[in-house]
Amino acid sequence: MILMPNFGVVVAGPPRTVHLLNNSEQPATVFSILESGQKQVPLVSDPLFMDLMKKLASVYTGKQQTRMEAKGPRFEVADFLVKLGTVTMNQNFKGVLVEVEYRPCVVPAYCWELIREFMQGFLGTCAPAQAPVYLQNRMQEIYQPLDTIQQYLEQFREYRKAVTVR
Amino acid sequence: MAYSVNVAIEAPIENQIQEISYDGTEVYQQPLSMSESLSKLAAKIDFGKGQEEKEEKPNEKQEDEAAAKDPAAYQSSLWPWDSVRNKLKNALTEVCVLSDVLAIAKEKRYLVLDPVPQDPPEIKAMVTVYARKKALGGAAAVLLTGAERLRTSQSELVRNRSVPDFHLELLQLRKNWRLKKVGNSIIGDVSYRTAGSKFAQSGMFEVSKAEEDTPSNWSPPPPQSPNAGPAPPKTPSALRVTLPSELQGVAFIEVHCRKDDEALFSTTVTSASLNTAGPMPDMHWQKKLEAAQNVLFCKELFNQLAKEAVQLPGPIPHMVVGNQIVASILPGIQLIIGLRHSTSSNSKKSSGPPQQKKSDHDHVLEHSIHQLLREVHHKNTHHPFPHPSSGPLGPSKQRCLAGPTAVDRHELTEMSKSQTLLEQIIEQTQHFTMRRRTEYVLDTIAKEVRDPLIVSHWNSINSPTKACVKVNILTHGYDTICRTLLTIHVGKKSLKCICRDGSVMNMSYEIQELRDLLICQIHQHQITAVQALAKCMGWQLLSNSMHLGVGEVQQMGNASSCILASPIGDRLIAVRCEPQAGVHVSIAHSPRKDFFPSQLVKERKWENLGGSYKEVRWDKMEGKNFLNKMELLMASLTSSS
Amino acid sequence: MMAQPLSSAIDTAFKSNIVPDQEYLLQGSVLDKVVEVLLHRLRGLCDNVDSGPEPFQDHEMCFTIRTTPTPLNLRVRRALDHQEMPWQLRYIGQPEYGDKMRPTIIRSSIDIGCSATVVEFLTELGCRMEFEYIARGYMFRKGRMKITVSKVFKMNQNKSQESMEPLSESYLVELSVLAPRGQDAIAEDMRSFAEQLRPLVNLDKVDFKRLVHGPP
Repeated sequence: MILMPNFGVVVAGPPRTVHLLNNSEQPATVFSILESGQKQVPLVSDPLFMDLMKKLASVYTGKQQTRMEAKGPRFEVADFLVKLGTVTMNQNFKGVLVEVEYRPCVVPAYCWELIREFMQGFLGTCAPAQAPVYLQNRMQEIYQPLDTIQQYLEQFREYRKAVTVR
Repeated sequence: MAYSVNVAIEAPIENQIQEISYDGTEVYQQPLSMSESLSKLAAKIDFGKGQEEKEEKPNEKQEDEAAAKDPAAYQSSLWPWDSVRNKLKNALTEVCVLSDVLAIAKEKRYLVLDPVPQDPPEIKAMVTVYARKKALGGAAAVLLTGAERLRTSQSELVRNRSVPDFHLELLQLRKNWRLKKVGNSIIGDVSYRTAGSKFAQSGMFEVSKAEEDTPSNWSPPPPQSPNAGPAPPKTPSALRVTLPSELQGVAFIEVHCRKDDEALFSTTVTSASLNTAGPMPDMHWQKKLEAAQNVLFCKELFNQLAKEAVQLPGPIPHMVVGNQIVASILPGIQLIIGLRHSTSSNSKKSSGPPQQKKSDHDHVLEHSIHQLLREVHHKNTHHPFPHPSSGPLGPSKQRCLAGPTAVDRHELTEMSKSQTLLEQIIEQTQHFTMRRRTEYVLDTIAKEVRDPLIVSHWNSINSPTKACVKVNILTHGYDTICRTLLTIHVGKKSLKCICRDGSVMNMSYEIQELRDLLICQIHQHQITAVQALAKCMGWQLLSNSMHLGVGEVQQMGNASSCILASPIGDRLIAVRCEPQAGVHVSIAHSPRKDFFPSQLVKERKWENLGGSYKEVRWDKMEGKNFLNKMELLMASLTSSS
Repeated sequence: MMAQPLSSAIDTAFKSNIVPDQEYLLQGSVLDKVVEVLLHRLRGLCDNVDSGPEPFQDHEMCFTIRTTPTPLNLRVRRALDHQEMPWQLRYIGQPEYGDKMRPTIIRSSIDIGCSATVVEFLTELGCRMEFEYIARGYMFRKGRMKITVSKVFKMNQNKSQESMEPLSESYLVELSVLAPRGQDAIAEDMRSFAEQLRPLVNLDKVDFKRLVHGPP
């Protein structure tokens, strides 16, 4: 389950947004991604950071933007982990996200084909032909939990922009 | 009749007589007038020294002027003032000059004042040294006499006293134990509370003065056990230590493993003294306190283990009966942990295994259990420090890292798991049993099988739950040609064997599986060695099979075989190695000696198909061992034509 | 398998008062000449006499957000001698000044472990670094109390470790406890412990506001 409350921050300069994400796979961690124009700074920290952001929220003249959630069942199939997430934005249903994780491997380039084949097995034609945009530059690097979060962020951003259900 | 005579009492003449005129009248010198007396006094003043007269100067100046104006100036009265006037005038001149000089010097244009360097006054060092030496000598003498006096009084006291001083003994006691004064009594603590124990039983003891015993009442203690040796001479002590009754005596935790088929409990109560010295009423307080601390430790340990035994779920539940815990390790083997506590009044053991089982007590496991509890105490007090230093005290390093490194749920639950004492000791005992069994199997096989030598090297670095042994199978004299290596990892309930070809075998706690594997490996080694030898000799390998499917089924292990051909191809050797029957070697000639063309087989060339095999009488064969025999056989069968 | 949402878990934790967010603090200082005596004394008084004091070397940077009427201070601290440990982000609130009878300073403090990108994060967020320093010294503990004796060093331009210069000829001694709200009894324990160190060092409440503005 991924939760994402959102803080918009207005300071001198370009407007900045802080995204706070929680993942139920890593219950002891809070991921924060600060977007300022083109630059992105991620931060991985203890859950108390949310409390600090609440204090800072009173400092910043930001509005809390929409809260997005992807919730659903979790399946383990041999070495794969499949999570089906129903995406809701402020209690409005937006769509369904499918997350597939191949656990033994840490480098995306080695197992992307395997994951795609596996997805084709149950998604059929919906299975993407290309790796997600975020990962395309990072195929040879070691995968981190932060990368999962970044991918979710990307998807949530798409959902925000989208008007219809995806 | 008395005539009164008028006596005139007069003061003597004060004034001096100046002259006596001819008619007898005396002309007295006039007493000095005020101004005259003043001038006389003024003349006495030495203006060369003293400043206190300065303020009188202006007055005298006026007087001076008055005297100077006096027209009827007596020379006698003028002269004193004259000298005064001259002196004052000189003084005035000097002062004016001085002030002029100072004014000029201040301006520093025409006159500058500079200090004249002066030599420092000479310090006579030796004088001060001698003075100080003398003073210190005096002080030292005083102190020495005082110390001497104290020393003599102390030595007298010591000589006269047979019993050591109460306070000295108390000091000794304080060096080893924590003491506190509560009201009128001195209370001490034998518990491990300050080391991290959370046991509820308190270990308070009280220290008091021993009653004065006359030496004749004190009898030497009877010999406790044959191997205790002569009892050391005990000096009576001035302290007496009173312990609570449940901590008196000596206790230890008895641990041993036992197979199921032995009797569980015997109710015979044997009166046997323990190996350690029994408590005597007048044992030295240090030993008493140490024994009490040990009793408390053993009680805590047993308490903890019993609690865990009751709560722990397991395939076979553990039993707690009285002072014993029975836990099952492996099917058929049990671990017995008992608390043995004997006080001086009760020299009987509680119900338990009979006396002869005493030797089974495993000191290593007992030590392990003690160590486990000490580790728990240690963890209670030694929490890790936060780095950086502003962090909270308490979370372990793993937990601190868990947030920022995004560990997942599975790892978090693993982190929070911990093993109880009983689980840990059971695991250690399981490993201990597995290790003993593995050793036994290796040793018996090494004794039984002489031909390839089996050498086992146990790793000296191991843990209470893991050990590793490297087994080397080689033939004497041929160890450079071929040796078979096996690595066996002994775990808690299983064995893992890694063979020379890299295959990994996981075996359970049944030790026959290991035996089976080893025997297979031995025979494979023989065949592999023959192949390596054949290569050296120039013989060719025609075929081999490690687990032969033909022939008799072996009870343990598998047969292996190979077929070799001579360099020119005229001889064939077939070798079969099996556990039950040993080694069978057969020879065949390649072009048959007994070929005769028959009606079916007409041509000569069919003689090359090879003849039948004839078995070699291996026991009559020359050679020290199998490979040696094979070498000689191959050498003899190699023909040069 | 569904887990409770993390934010609500934290809220409940805060409400049930188990998260330590208050710091009780006493501070003092001691000259270089006598710090050995103080360390010896602390070694005897504190827990774990056998293992000795724990040395530490930390680098601390202090950031401020100036956009609010009251500037907000955030401190980032990392351990230079344990590079694998996470960085610490610390928010320290204003001390409660009301009660003069309180034995210690009480201020809210939130400690968050985070990854090393926190400096960039804060700079992008609009915070500005006010100052930084290196603290090197020893840590002790007694029960829940943590005692640090440290020397503050000024960082040089080239930021090399050998060319640090100390800020003063004394060591800063701090006695602190991180506890949840409402456990004021710990302050009394801290005060009595401070009494035991009394002739060597005076641990006391320090009024920061007065220090900042200085005596007239």
